[in-house]
Amino acid sequence: MRDGRTSTQASRHAFRQAPWRLQFRNTGRTVLGVIGLLVLGGVYLAVNAKVARAGRELLVLEGRRESLQRANSELSAALASATAPEIMRERAAYLSFHPAGPEDVDYMFVEGYSGEPGFDPPRPLSSISDRRSMLSPAYTETLGEWLARWLEGG
Amino acid sequence: MRLFKDRTRPAGEAPPRLRAVPEDDQPPLRSVRAGGQRRLRPIPPGGQPKLRQPSTLKPPGPRPTLHTSNGGARPLPRGAPFNPRGGFAGSPPLEPWLQRVSPRRIRLVMAMMGLMAAGLLMQLIRVQFGPYAPVFAARGDVGASRIEQVFPSRGLIYDRRGNLLAANASRYYLEVEIRQLSPISIRAIAEVLSRILVLPLEDLHAQLSVDWAARGQFRIRLTRTDQNGQTWPITVDKNVAGVLNNFLADPQAPDLSGLDLVPAPLRVYPAGNLAGHVLGFVNQEDEGFFGIEGYYDEWLSGKPITVERPMIPPEARLFPDPPAGVNLVLTLDLEIQQMVEIELQKAIEASGSESGQVIVMDPRNGEILAMAAWPTLDPNLYEPWLAKAGAEEPVITPAVAAQYEPGSTFKVLTMAAALDAGKVEPETEFVDEGQIEVGGNLIRNWDGSAWGPQTMLGCMKHSLNVCLAWVASEKLGASDFYSYLNAFEIGQLIGIDLAGEVPGQLRNTRHPEWTESDLGTNAFGQGVSVTPIQLLAAVGAVANHGLLIQPHLVRQVVGPQGAYSPQPTVLGRPITEETAQTLTDMLSTTLEGETPFAHVPGYLLAGKTGTAQVPTERGYDPNWTIASFVGWGPLPDVQFIILVRLDKPESSPWGSVVAAPVFQEVVERLVVLMEIPPDGMREGYAASH
Repeated sequence: MRDGRTSTQASRHAFRQAPWRLQFRNTGRTVLGVIGLLVLGGVYLAVNAKVARAGRELLVLEGRRESLQRANSELSAALASATAPEIMRERAAYLSFHPAGPEDVDYMFVEGYSGEPGFDPPRPLSSISDRRSMLSPAYTETLGEWLARWLEGG
Repeated sequence: MRLFKDRTRPAGEAPPRLRAVPEDDQPPLRSVRAGGQRRLRPIPPGGQPKLRQPSTLKPPGPRPTLHTSNGGARPLPRGAPFNPRGGFAGSPPLEPWLQRVSPRRIRLVMAMMGLMAAGLLMQLIRVQFGPYAPVFAARGDVGASRIEQVFPSRGLIYDRRGNLLAANASRYYLEVEIRQLSPISIRAIAEVLSRILVLPLEDLHAQLSVDWAARGQFRIRLTRTDQNGQTWPITVDKNVAGVLNNFLADPQAPDLSGLDLVPAPLRVYPAGNLAGHVLGFVNQEDEGFFGIEGYYDEWLSGKPITVERPMIPPEARLFPDPPAGVNLVLTLDLEIQQMVEIELQKAIEASGSESGQVIVMDPRNGEILAMAAWPTLDPNLYEPWLAKAGAEEPVITPAVAAQYEPGSTFKVLTMAAALDAGKVEPETEFVDEGQIEVGGNLIRNWDGSAWGPQTMLGCMKHSLNVCLAWVASEKLGASDFYSYLNAFEIGQLIGIDLAGEVPGQLRNTRHPEWTESDLGTNAFGQGVSVTPIQLLAAVGAVANHGLLIQPHLVRQVVGPQGAYSPQPTVLGRPITEETAQTLTDMLSTTLEGETPFAHVPGYLLAGKTGTAQVPTERGYDPNWTIASFVGWGPLPDVQFIILVRLDKPESSPWGSVVAAPVFQEVVERLVVLMEIPPDGMREGYAASH
């Protein structure tokens, strides 16, 4: 019995101390570490790739937005040029119209008529406040605000 | 012979056996633990290695193989001791040169490598966190981002009906990314641009061949040199930019790698020269000059912001837009403006005048409805206009900058002052002897004749200089006279929202060069300089029941937060309502007698002609005059006041002949455009309501 135990201990000792075993274990640990690093690196790379793609998309969209704004401005200018008073006058003359004088006009009083409606001018294209208002509250709400909203039962 | 444990035994073979290994020249090694680390130690001669019991729990895995010199491979014995000269026990002997390497040398090399690694680590820490870390960081950031000044879109300008008067388009700068250039693209860019833009090939090639990177520049803007040797950035319009972009996109086209078209704002004026003097212009640096563009430049241009735009996609982020410039809605009515400009052009051509202006204003609120000037200015082509003008300070907006001696139109203010001060009444009599001496200066009438007994009505009707000089000097006195002129804002900036306004010139009693003779001449509009807008505003007070309203051109300011409408500004009440009414009635009565050319059937109007001499360094020019007319209507509910000025007319020197008809023509069309029914209809409607 004792011999058997001694033999087992000796075997285990010999097994534990076996260099190939240690090498195998060390290699396994190293490989595990490397795999862990690779996983971490992979995740990091994936996240970075996503960020880069989003950044690239952002740059492209910003460029497109600026391009569209420029095109919009140029179209507005072109439209205004095409309907400039001088152009319209020439067109009217070509169609045999002439400017009306007092003798060409008959006046009629209309109750409640107060002349042409005023021009409602457009606001400037963009502003910081407009841009901020475009963001969802999910991105702007602070923890305190959320807590206050939650306490109020919102 | 030495005995070693045989570790090549396959699984399942129970008894370990000892096998003989040929004794080597060097003592074999064995693996021992020392200080927690495994080292190889030589086995002492005659020493017996400790044998270990083999494991029977599970079979050993595949063993590493040892490649032999003849290309074969055999398993490396497990735990084979290593001999630095002979390699692993059981393995083929190492190369002779390797056998000669001593362990001390190996340690030395390892120590050196360790030192180098430590040095590198230290350097890395120093670069990253040391005192010069910002310098290194800056070097690393070169080319990673670009500092840009982002300009907001310049505000738009509309007329009161919503017609676009000033808009934004684009032009393109030609920039080159130095790091993307190649010898082929340098040649191609230079050749293509030289042909399309007709620029010297050598100049372009020289710009592209400079070693910009050595100067720390990685992006340059191509320039051209004009005839005066001045260097300007090359800009192209959207058509040329389209051609170049097609080249860049087409793989078959010349290689223009590195060329980049950078858009920049370009101000355009769709109505061309219509209201060009009022609008002013914007230069290549997007700065507004003269007129509305100059006066509201800060508001229109917004506030540019500086951003560091990363060129690496992961670092891209959304930047806030710079605070936008406001949009402006002017009081101008483009239809009225066009009509007035056409009438002015006709008058200029008919009278052979050198230049002229017509201003139409609503005296009730000071809104300018039209402001025409000849020669016209197309703000899209302001550079040739400036070159043609030639003067050091060209008059871009004559209505506020071209001061002149108003002549008889100024008599309206003199009579208003005398009536308001109670010194005269419409029926006050005056005997005109053809001349009067004031301060030693002899004043005569415009025709040099004596008109005999006259009332104030007659004085205004016949525009008698002698009579008005008498009113100012004998009845009113210098103090009251200049006090009233001061109340009419003569000689002061009226404060209209147009850049380039001048105050005119008025020498009052406190002026060191003032003499009593000035009182006599000032009374009929000589020796005093005003701008057209000044005179219009002052006479507008007579048309507006005695209230002087500040003229203005902006009706609405539209910003990101909303629209703001400036309210009319009352500058004062120089005369009472009664005086204004009396004078208006007087001038309405006298108008028909003064000129037959200012009458519009169905509409009661008031007005005054003016013919002024042109002052020169040697006195007044005997050949040329400035013909003018100021009139308002329809009475009694005045809705417009018009000033006409023609400089140096050839057909006739008199305002009553050349300027009054312009007023007539303008009013005939104006009442239609402003939808003003004839007097009879209006009175009938008023009576029924």
